[in-house]
Parts: sequence; C-alpha cells; structure tokens
Amino acid sequence: MAQTASASAHNLGFLTVLHETNGYLGGYLVTNQWGRPLEFRLSTSVQPNRIQQIIYGATLETYICADLIGKTLVEKTGTNAELIFTDREPVLDLRLHVDVPVAYFAMANEASVESSKPVDQSASVASSGVSSLRSSCARPARNGVGPAFCHPSFAADLPAARQLLDRLEGSLDLAEPFTRIREAIAEARKMGVTSRAA
Amino acid sequence: MLSCAARSLPALERSCHVGTREARLLTERPWIRPAGKFNLEVTAEGWRFAQPHDEPKPAPQTGDSQPPPLSNIGAQVGPRPRLGGAATRVRPPNDMVVFKERLFYLLQPSLENLLAGKQIRLQHKPYPYQLEGIAFLMPRHAALLADEMGLGKTMQTILALRLLLQAGLVRRALLICPKPLVNNWCRELQTWADDLPFEVIAGDADARRASWLVSNAPLKLANYEILTRDAALLAEEPATFDVVVLDEAQRIKNRSSKTAEVVRSIRRERSWALTGTPIENRTDDLVSIFAFVDAERIPPNTPTKRLPQLTGDCILRRTKEDVLTDLPAKTIRDTCLELTPAQREAYELAEKEGVIRLNALGHTITVHHVFELVMRLKQICNFDPLTGQSAKLEQLHADLAEVADSGRKAILFSQWVEPLEVLARALEHLGPLRFHGRVPASERQGVLDRFRSDPTKHVLLMSYGTGSVGLNLQFANYVFLFDRWWNPAVEDQAINRAHRIGQRGPVFVTRFITQGTIEERIAEVLEKRRQLFNELIEQNGPPPSLGLTEQEIFGLFDIQSRPKRAAAA
Repeated sequence: MAQTASASAHNLGFLTVLHETNGYLGGYLVTNQWGRPLEFRLSTSVQPNRIQQIIYGATLETYICADLIGKTLVEKTGTNAELIFTDREPVLDLRLHVDVPVAYFAMANEASVESSKPVDQSASVASSGVSSLRSSCARPARNGVGPAFCHPSFAADLPAARQLLDRLEGSLDLAEPFTRIREAIAEARKMGVTSRAA
Repeated sequence: MLSCAARSLPALERSCHVGTREARLLTERPWIRPAGKFNLEVTAEGWRFAQPHDEPKPAPQTGDSQPPPLSNIGAQVGPRPRLGGAATRVRPPNDMVVFKERLFYLLQPSLENLLAGKQIRLQHKPYPYQLEGIAFLMPRHAALLADEMGLGKTMQTILALRLLLQAGLVRRALLICPKPLVNNWCRELQTWADDLPFEVIAGDADARRASWLVSNAPLKLANYEILTRDAALLAEEPATFDVVVLDEAQRIKNRSSKTAEVVRSIRRERSWALTGTPIENRTDDLVSIFAFVDAERIPPNTPTKRLPQLTGDCILRRTKEDVLTDLPAKTIRDTCLELTPAQREAYELAEKEGVIRLNALGHTITVHHVFELVMRLKQICNFDPLTGQSAKLEQLHADLAEVADSGRKAILFSQWVEPLEVLARALEHLGPLRFHGRVPASERQGVLDRFRSDPTKHVLLMSYGTGSVGLNLQFANYVFLFDRWWNPAVEDQAINRAHRIGQRGPVFVTRFITQGTIEERIAEVLEKRRQLFNELIEQNGPPPSLGLTEQEIFGLFDIQSRPKRAAAA
C-alpha cells in the first residue's frame, strides 16, 4: 500500500463493487470521521471471459471483488483508513490481502436467513453466506441498518470494529457513502472516465 | 419368365488416378477462437481532495431547551418542523465541466448528515428549504439567491460560506451589505458561525487599508459606501477574494453607477448575490446584477425571452407559499441597527443630561421621571430631533420595497402617532394608510377595507393602542415593530392582528432595535420576562402583568436615587 503522511486514525474507507452487464466496477472512497471525502479511486471495468469463468469457477466473484478490484483500489490509494466498510460480502476477503480491518454491512433481511451450512472460517466467506459470519458479528442489525461483520479469520478485528462503530453511532450514517460512490461511478460513466481493462 | 443375361459393363474411357487439391486449414475466426487470457487485470484512477479544516472545539452547549438569541433570524414560535424526507445533497451545477470538481460535490455527505454528525454545531436546525438553499450556493461560482424576505437568506449564506471554508475550497471571502445591516450580519455570524473569524472594514483610512490589504481574516464585511470610497485599494493584489457576496444586490441595478462599477472590479472567483425582490420579473435589473454574478452569461442584446434559459441554473427563488410546509406560522426576527451619527450625538447628550437630572431629584424621583427619559430616548432612536435622520427608516425603505415588489402587505406599529405621520410622508410611494387615534372612528373601517382590497396599498401604519379585538388583518404577511412596547403581551396582540386563524401564509415579524441604546436594554429585559412568562404560565397561569417592574425600570440607567418609601405601620 502506498505510504502517506496522512494519519489513518479516524479515516474511514468505503468500498463497493458493482456488477453490471459490462462487468465489475469498483469504487473506493476514503473519508474523515465526519464523512467528508479525502480521496476517491475508481477501477476500470472487469468483464471475465468464458475461460476465466471456467477456470475460477465459484471463486470468480470473490476473486474479482476482493483480490483484484479491492486490493488494487486500496493499494493505489494514498490515504490510509482505520477501517474499510463494504456493502458487498465478496469484498470481505480483501482482509486477506490488506492490513486493515474490513467490515461488511449485510442487508437487514439477510440477518434473518438461516443457513444449514457449517461455519467454515478457512473458506471464503462468500460461499457460506451471512449465517456463517455470525461468529464475527461486530454489530447486530439496528435502526433498519443490517448487521456488520468482520472476516471470521481475523477475530482480533472485532473489538476495534465495535469500538469504531460505537464511536460513530449517531454521528454518521455508514450506509450513505455507498450511495455517493454509486453516484460518482454513474457520473464517471457519463463523462467517459471509466473504460474496459480486458 | 424373366431371363437375364450378363452383359459387360461399359468400360471407363479414362483411367482413375488419385490426386490432391490444396485447401486452407480452418485456422482463423470464426472457426477457431482463441482461448483468451487466463488472468484478469484491472487498473485504477484516483482523485484526492483538500483536507477539510478541523473545527475548533465549540463553546459549551446550551441545549435545545435554551431560548434562541435575541437577534436570531429564524427564531420561531410554535412547533419546529422536523427534518426528514430525502437527504439534501449538494449537486454540481450544469456548467461545471471539470470532472474532479463535479466529483468533489457528488462525494460530499448530505447536509443533514453533516449537521446530525455535529461536525458543524448549530444552535437551531435549518428548515429543509434552507438546506436546499445551502446546497444551491455551495458548488456555484455564480449564484443569485432571491428568496422572499424573511426566509433566511442571511443564514443560508453564512452556512454555505462556513462549509466552503471548512472544506478548504474557499480561504478569503468578502461580504458587502448596506451600512444599516452590518451589525445585523455580525450578529447572525455569531449565531450561525461563532467559530468563524471575521472583520468589519471600518474606521479611518489607515485602519481600512490594513483591513483590506494586511488582515488575513477569512471573512471581511464592508458596506457599499466604504467599498466605493476604497475603490483604489481594491486594485491591489491582496484584495483578491475566493467569494464575494452582495447583500441587497438590487443596489447595483443601475449598471453604470459607481457602486456597480466598483463591485464588478473586485477580483474574485465566486460571485453570489442576495436579494428579496422578484428579480426575475425585472429584466434590466437582472441583467445588471448578472454583470456582477457572471458577466459572460448574458450576451449583449439577448432577447428577454432567452434570459430564463441562460440564468435559470444560477437563480434560486422561493416564496412563502413554496415553503409553506416547512415554516412555522410566525417567525420573529430582530433587525439591529446602528444609529445615524446625528442620532447618536443627540442620544448620548440626552441620556447624559437626563441621568444627571434624575440623580439630582434625589428621593423625590419616581418611576414617571424615569419613564419620561426613556420616552425621550426612544423617540431619538426613531428620529433625530434636529435633522430627522433615522436608521430605522433607511432600513424600512429597503424592507418595504421588497414587500411591495413581492405583492405583499405589511403592518407597521409604533408607540406614537407622530412617527407614523413622518413615515406616511416618507413612504408615500407605497400608498401607506393610517390607522391610529387621530383617524376618526367613522373612517377606520374604510381604511381597513381599502388596505385589504387595494393592491397599491402595501402598508398600514398603526399605533399599539388602536384597534379592537375584532380587527382581522390576516391578509398581511409582514409586521414591523418600529419601536417596541413595554409589555410583550401587547406586542403579541399587535402581531396577532395578522397572525390569526385564516392566515394562509406564515407571518414574518421584524423588530427594530438600535444598538447601544435604551431599546437594546429594554429588549433584553423583555426577553427575560417572556421566557419567565413561558415557564410560569404552565405552572401558575398567566402572571398579572408582564410589564417592567419598578426595579427593572430604575435599572435601565445608572441612577443612584430611589423613591423614599413610607415607613411601615
């Protein structure tokens, strides 16, 4: 990750990956603790071909979201974040590649979905579903906002995430920055800033 | 019976031999497709933004239960509308073409989140339409905010400036306003941006030069007269601003005036103009104001019908009807004015001599003696006895012009009849009607009917003592208290001439208060009484009187003497 003089303390990262007809496109926004933008990074669009779909199989989405787009965006961003939030579960595996806690905000209705699959902390969380993340819940669903989960392989992230979420309680709507990222992506597309990579 | 015989097959005439023919292998598309890359690649592009300035720690919170400051525009009576519904987002204007600039505004949090997060501490919550006004101003380099009078243009401007300064997008701002309003702006800045350092450009030539060229205050305030006087200083490099705001922008509607020329000469990045008049209906005025707001937006000889298309993105105007659901039924604001030099001289002389006389009375002093001095001083606060100058009248001219231009009606109250007569002459162009003790009773109903029905009659001049319980003036949206009464209940009754059942729109009440005078001291006492009234009425019912007590009256001046009390039996 690029080094920077900016202190990561109190900076927040928000990363989302959109999956559209022309591929996957990621946006990463770093803000201060009040939600003011400090840096924004946009990935090029990634459209896997048939061979890649076959080769990567069920791991394709996680690979694209976390290993490829997420890792690239975070590493290229000069401003560090104290914690990275995401609204896409496949991005949670980004934690395996960066030294920053990652928290996934599930949709509120996913919290009630029961899964019969056993909890497997070594496997990609994307394949296990929200229920497999129950043991790594940093905050339960609250006020219409879904629960927040950390990566199950990094239990040490939970206290830091909980502390940060408690600190931000009532001062920042953590779901709102994702709306801004989507609008920024739409604007970039409208102005021709995004382009295909492969 | 059939018979068959073997017959020889016909012989081939030519011998067979095997040969080959060259043909191209199917090695190209569409017969052969490459397998494609096995690995995926992605690149990223990024944009960094200026680090927002940290807000200094705010002053200790007084809490929502505390009453609003005396001069707070937007102080409201009645339930406050809740902020809700869609978030108010800052949107880049159509003419902003640089992607990074557009991105910056798109990535800003909603104004509701910004306020809810307490990064910017406010004493009162803005109304939703005011948040929209702030979102309108923030991203614009050229803007004309033309909200109807009373809707809070001042507050919206202050908060927009504050957010821009905090975001680091603006470092130096200049605000220009009419001289009577400088103190008002100062008070509003203290209410809505108490952490924002500002400097008023005033004083002698050396002091003003230092303010213009040396001072690094992020916000400077100047009046139009000083601006014109210091035009030469504006040509120097340090007098460059990231944003210049013109209050009462109709002051530059005469394009060729010295004021308009000087204003246009200021070096600036952003140009904002504020006016309460329906400027979109006045083509020439609009073109003149846009000569400051955005000189290149309206080409010469542009047909009038094209103006809305060219200027639409730069103008925001809301009327009371537009924001009816946001506003409370009644909004009271204090307009604090500085006495004119002649008034100040007369006032100080009268107060000094008056206090000397009161102290000389010794134990024979009574409340009535003090009343006399108070009345005398209040009259000077209205008009200078020698020259007739009046800071209140100057401001009233501007306010009532906006009321009339908007097609509205206003009621003005004074304690005395004489000021009303002076005002009637001074405001003749607005068709003022009189309703006070000297108007024969037989004529009074006709006055009210005319005020209601005649569209050219915009102002009714009334004294506090006149009128009856049945007086309904709910078609007037504006109430001006030229001078204030002793008892807040009497003031409320006057205000309620307009604010009654049947009033279709909100009522805006303007109370004139001259700074550094007896009016200000009385206002402070009355405000405390009003608070006490509100607290006590629920517990004990209405107190017998809301007027000033004897102690409070004597406390208005530095009087050592007190009446001699009879000995207790």
